Amino acid sequence: MSADLALMSLVPVAKGIADRRFSSREVTQACLDRIARWQPHLNAFMAIEADEALALADLADAALAKGEAGGALHGVPLAHKDMYYETGRVVTCGSRIRRDFVATTTSTALHRLKQAGAIRLGTLQMAEFAYGPTGHNAHYGPVRNPWNLDRITGGSSSGSGAAVAARLTFAALGSDTGGSIRMPAHFCGVTGLKTTVGRISRAGAMPLSQSLDTIGPLARTAQDCAVLLGLMAGPDAADLTTIAGPIPDYAAATNQPIDGLCIGVPASFYVDDLDAEVARGLDETIAVLKREGARIVAVELPDQRQLSAACQLVLAVEAASFHKRWLIERPQDYGPQVLMRLQNGLAIPGVTYLEAMRWRGQALSAHLAATVGVDAVIAPVAPVAAPTIAESDVGNGPDAEAVIQRLTRFTRPINYLGLPSLAIPAGFTRGGLPLGMQLIGRSFDEATLLRIGAAFQRSTDYHDRVPSSV
Amino acid sequence: MTRPTPKAIKAIAETTGVAASAEEATRIANSIGPAFEGFSAVAGTLPFDLEPATFLIVQAAEKAERAET
Repeated sequence: MSADLALMSLVPVAKGIADRRFSSREVTQACLDRIARWQPHLNAFMAIEADEALALADLADAALAKGEAGGALHGVPLAHKDMYYETGRVVTCGSRIRRDFVATTTSTALHRLKQAGAIRLGTLQMAEFAYGPTGHNAHYGPVRNPWNLDRITGGSSSGSGAAVAARLTFAALGSDTGGSIRMPAHFCGVTGLKTTVGRISRAGAMPLSQSLDTIGPLARTAQDCAVLLGLMAGPDAADLTTIAGPIPDYAAATNQPIDGLCIGVPASFYVDDLDAEVARGLDETIAVLKREGARIVAVELPDQRQLSAACQLVLAVEAASFHKRWLIERPQDYGPQVLMRLQNGLAIPGVTYLEAMRWRGQALSAHLAATVGVDAVIAPVAPVAAPTIAESDVGNGPDAEAVIQRLTRFTRPINYLGLPSLAIPAGFTRGGLPLGMQLIGRSFDEATLLRIGAAFQRSTDYHDRVPSSV
Repeated sequence: MTRPTPKAIKAIAETTGVAASAEEATRIANSIGPAFEGFSAVAGTLPFDLEPATFLIVQAAEKAERAET
């Protein structure tokens, strides 16, 4: 029985524990069993805390036995990208520099999930300092894709994508500054939500770019993401960029039909130079959404290349600023590609950076004007399925920028605009690699994206498919 | 707006207090150069009164508008 428990998705497993149909210990053990089998092949976990997780599971079970009401995630084991601070815990941020860093605060997002009853399984691998789109890590090795161990997971939330896909954890926090949730979701065949800038507090999460960083979940379904978002969203005195106001009922949104919603299909850029199988996946996704009752319209978006360029300029400067002290004192402790990309920020004059920041509002206005009446825009997450680890291991060589650009071209414009985007599993290549599509929404309208994603998942089974056992 | 030369990058980096070798400066120029080119149509064209906080205003206005409908 316990092996099957790990294959469930988050919402039913939380309900099963709450209803005492099975125990938190059984669920946690099922995850640990899978972790023991998969970890040597995937390298998805940074740390596995088996004994502690089982002890916490026993406490959760004991509380339920005493009739003590738990939160929405009572006794559910989770693991997250190793960049969320938890007091007294080592948080490596995927780096050598922070290999022994012990946090003195707990991130708000993590705290809110813990308050809801979630149990910690350990921590997940990631790109060094969340600055890499492939899943390579010069210090800890690449994370491997559970659908094909020779392929990348995407990054920077590489361990999160692999662990959710292989059913090692029911969900995982990632972070998305240039595509770092959506790309692992696409390459690994899971659901990933990049939230609007300001929706979830970033307090206690490792920063990369204060203007672009967002926090969000990777999980098996849109419904799971909705529950997690509902628990984490909302204002936080420790992060004044979070917005006040009522939090929508995201879980309820996933039960609504999508009849009458309008979904835009970009006339250019996101449909240009696609791998044939990605193009087919996009067409099939649109057909499903149409069958579900959505109205499909063509949209002409403003120049996305300019948005992508502005995103690069902002990200490069802000990342270099965070890292400046270590760039001076410990450059030898960075991996070659991360060092090169951090050094990029040194080449950008202050006026150029501020121009890129000043243009942001105008660019968002132009996007909103181009999508009036459109509830979401559908686009591929990337123009290709997962490349091999070997071919994308470009370090700081002459091909590095071209590889990074190709992978992130469809995600970066959305980060610049600060918009939410939901990546959903939307098919497989003939070779068995997952394909993901992103639904790009309006500012703070994650609910509509989750509604569309859930409707799509009621009509398809891509999100239910599990990689063959190792 | 043109992409920065390795020579200019070396000078900027030194001003910042982070040394970059000639080889590193060349690598940086190749790496970030395309972003300068991509942004060149926007650079130098922005209205005088535009400031970074405009983004938050546009975001909030969009949210408020949707709440009303």
